[in-house]
Amino acid sequence: MTGGSLLLVLSLAFPLVLLLGALSRDLRQHLPRILPYAPVPALATALFASGATFALPDWPLRLTLELDAPGAILLGVAALLWIVAGVAAQGYLRGRSDAGRFSVWWLTTLVGSMGVFIAADLPSFYLLFSMVSLAAYGLVVFDDTPSTRRAGRVYVALAVLGEAFLLLAFVLLSTATADNSLMIRDVVGNLAQSPWRDLTIGLIILGFGIKMGLVPFHVWMPLAYTAAPIPAVAVMSGAAVKAGVIGMIRFLPFDSASSGWGTALVVVGLFSAFYGVAIGITQKNPKTVLAYSSVSQMGVIATVFGMGLSSGDRGVMLGGAFYAAHHILVKGGLFLAIGAAASVGSRRLWPVLLPAAIIALGIGGLPLTGGALAKLAVKDTLGYGLVGTLGALSAAGSTLLMLHFLTCLQAVPIEPKMVRPSSRSALSMVLSPVAPWLAIALAAILVPWVLYLSVLGGSVADALKPYALWSSIWPMLIGGALWSALQRWGNRLPLVPRGDILVFFGAVKPASARCSAAFEQADDYLRRWPVAGLSLLILAVAFGIATFALR
Amino acid sequence: MTGETTAALLATTSGGYLLVLAIMLPLIGTIAIVLLGGQRAERVALVVAPLGLVIAAAILASVWSSGQPLVYIVGGWRPPLGLALRSDGISAVMIAITAIVMCATVLFARGQFRGPAPGVEGRAQMVFWSLLLAVWGALNAVFLGDDLFNLYVALELLTFGAVPLVCLDGRAETLSAALRYLLFALMGSVLYLLGVALIYGAYGTLDIVLLAGVVRSEPVIWVAVALMTVGLIAKTALFPLHLWLPNAHAGAPAAASAILSALVVKGSFFLILRLWFDVMPGQIHLPAQILGFLGAGAILLGSVLALRQARLKLLIAYSTIAQIGYLFLLFPLAVGSGIASPFASIAWTAGLLQLASHAFAKAAMFMAAGMIYEALGHDRIDRLGGAGRVVPIAVFAFAIGGLSLMGLPPSGGFSAKWMLLQASVGEGQWWWIIVITLGGLLAAGYIFRVISPTLIQPFPAPELKAVVPVSRQGVALALALFAVLLGFVPLEPWPLLQIGRTAVEAHLP
Repeated sequence: MTGGSLLLVLSLAFPLVLLLGALSRDLRQHLPRILPYAPVPALATALFASGATFALPDWPLRLTLELDAPGAILLGVAALLWIVAGVAAQGYLRGRSDAGRFSVWWLTTLVGSMGVFIAADLPSFYLLFSMVSLAAYGLVVFDDTPSTRRAGRVYVALAVLGEAFLLLAFVLLSTATADNSLMIRDVVGNLAQSPWRDLTIGLIILGFGIKMGLVPFHVWMPLAYTAAPIPAVAVMSGAAVKAGVIGMIRFLPFDSASSGWGTALVVVGLFSAFYGVAIGITQKNPKTVLAYSSVSQMGVIATVFGMGLSSGDRGVMLGGAFYAAHHILVKGGLFLAIGAAASVGSRRLWPVLLPAAIIALGIGGLPLTGGALAKLAVKDTLGYGLVGTLGALSAAGSTLLMLHFLTCLQAVPIEPKMVRPSSRSALSMVLSPVAPWLAIALAAILVPWVLYLSVLGGSVADALKPYALWSSIWPMLIGGALWSALQRWGNRLPLVPRGDILVFFGAVKPASARCSAAFEQADDYLRRWPVAGLSLLILAVAFGIATFALR
Repeated sequence: MTGETTAALLATTSGGYLLVLAIMLPLIGTIAIVLLGGQRAERVALVVAPLGLVIAAAILASVWSSGQPLVYIVGGWRPPLGLALRSDGISAVMIAITAIVMCATVLFARGQFRGPAPGVEGRAQMVFWSLLLAVWGALNAVFLGDDLFNLYVALELLTFGAVPLVCLDGRAETLSAALRYLLFALMGSVLYLLGVALIYGAYGTLDIVLLAGVVRSEPVIWVAVALMTVGLIAKTALFPLHLWLPNAHAGAPAAASAILSALVVKGSFFLILRLWFDVMPGQIHLPAQILGFLGAGAILLGSVLALRQARLKLLIAYSTIAQIGYLFLLFPLAVGSGIASPFASIAWTAGLLQLASHAFAKAAMFMAAGMIYEALGHDRIDRLGGAGRVVPIAVFAFAIGGLSLMGLPPSGGFSAKWMLLQASVGEGQWWWIIVITLGGLLAAGYIFRVISPTLIQPFPAPELKAVVPVSRQGVALALALFAVLLGFVPLEPWPLLQIGRTAVEAHLP
């Protein structure tokens, strides 16, 4: 086994071994101390094991791992966020009796989150995708209240629905492949010849679209992101949601153009991009605002993949991964900023607020930030027609939403937990949520540059061309103007409940209750003696006739 | 068919005595318990169980390594005069599953049915252990029997062993549940026996191997098979003939529920397989579709009803109805669109995998539910908060078993669902895909209903009614892990299941 393969295995095996340790109650108590180290092998893999592969023989374990460029970008950046958020989680868990339980959900989600970036066969990918999706439920409902329970229910319902779509898609993929191969590369390469090609692509878009929170499947995002504790929502919104992104990268057939599904994805993506902004500005809770920003940003990424799908352009895999990598750091970071703001209070807010302003506006494309580079990386893909213009306008929307977020951030109340007297020095109490935030903010500015120059092969000159600068400045100006309008007339906006269209599902509830009550009545009826006896007779006659008919 | 092939198929093979042992050992155990009394019943079972496991392993190993079925001719008289016991690949697998679940149940039930005081003989003790072993022997007889009347006897023994297990506690409601079970099972038996009589009258033999060579497509066999199928369906509690199952399985003590749900209903299912794939000649597309549709109805009705139950054991019982439904999808999918041999098809493997993983997962879940009941003093789902604290391993076992029912990887349930879906796609029978998917979503719903409250730690913590030893919780977990282990089998047809079946196939016109 080469060093690269060993690293690939370790990036999953190490957190798994920690999880095994959690079986012992004594060890479980100490687990929070190790949380920041759990993703270290994954980070090392991303840095040093590019192109490595690992395969176990077919029986009894099917496990094939591979690291390609988009996978490596996402794996490395996600691991970085998991490390920093792990430090924040330690602070959050200090002195809590249920820290061990939190750590178990955390590590399970972590294994899945790292695993989807390197899994190379269908069953392993499905397993790891299920882990990152379902284990995050434990994080969402960790603070047990009626509202987190509701968030957890909505989250799990949509996660399970997504899994069902994906299972069907994967079965179609493998059945259409003649030699029964289960390797992702083989089955996707064969997709063009599949008799169920369109159905498969549709199921893939549905399955991963739910994970990415595309409208109308975004309803879980504002609920879950508001419910989960800060360190948990940082990794969920930053890293875990990228399981959907890598899914589209791995499974959409970018080799062959399919304009119908491509256009559909573009439409859904752009709609999500603007819809997220429109609802986001009506929200007051900064966590909810960021959640709607995620809906919007995932919409942009979906638009990029849609353009790639309709033109058959493999380049979007790398560009999309880069855009997503920037989002990992910024979104994860901004959630940590909320925690940091809550710990320092409004008087000493500026060390939190200033970096937050820089990276938040990066989402809108602030020049010289990673966000500007991310926009640049997908600019050619979006093109210079209608989609390109709408893409630029969505940047104006993001600017507006981020300015709104910064306003809400200043109003975050100080967490009572932080004021209470403790044996530790006040400075370390303040530092514990602030330090990880500053670290991730720094990474959010530096890492995109490193990736842009090394992996994407861009140059500083390209990024600083006057045209490039202007094309990122004008949407920001529009966004700024819109924000001042929002400041002025914002109170006239309607109060949209968190999870917006979820209220319409309230109308479905009685219908589904009636439906299941009907099943119960049917069951009662069928289980009566005379009815069961009659069924017995009818079935006997039916089988007799059926056998006769096929003589 | 030539005389020599029949002779080859129906001659005692080396190791054939294992088949006799597999049936006789548990029955000798039953007799020993009756003779020695309830005080020593548990000890007898503890001796019989490991021996039974060894015999099952030996049968499986022998069939697997030789690639040939094991045969034993009772008394040296060949059919049609004498009786034959025969273990092909699928019988060997069924015997192994039974042995594993039985051993786990014996360990789980240790000390559960002791008398009120030391030295005082408990009636329940003797009844439970003797019936448990009787059910084991009867199941092995069902899996090994090669003669339709012999199978009838085994089936009756199975019913009479299983019914009293339901009403061990003697409460009025469990008595009425047991009575329901008994009456409906007897109705099933009568129909089966009627079919057997018709076949004997028409062909003069009841041996499955011999019958396969002589049956023609004619009214007598249609009627006979229809009657037998319906009788067996009633015993399997397939929708819409499931009236007896929920109360019987939910009312029995946990150890008994585990056996009833995991194994007993599979006995009659196994005979339906034998009947349609080994005895019936020619094309069976339409009846297979009917069986499939009944299965689909079971999946939907059982799952929705499981979602609506307020009590944990009833939820599990309705889930059994749904999971039995999946087994019947095997028929339309294995018959298929003319693959050379249905036994080689992916649906055949999927069905058996579903059977095995459901057996392990469901036994583990009933055991876990029983322990939750012991610890909390109730099994109301909305008040399960804190169960994860008082019986953590049992709750974990329930969750693992539940993941298999939902079809999440890695688990036998996932592999079974994957292959069932693959077969449906491959056969172009799209309607099953919708049912399988809906069933999976509903299963996720009812498992989630149970798991999510157990994660919560309510204040004040629930009062502990009884301490459940870790060893018993470990038994349930071990069974659930068996269901997980099945997820590591290759996603393709198992050659093991075809052993001894192509020979029968060769006789078909």
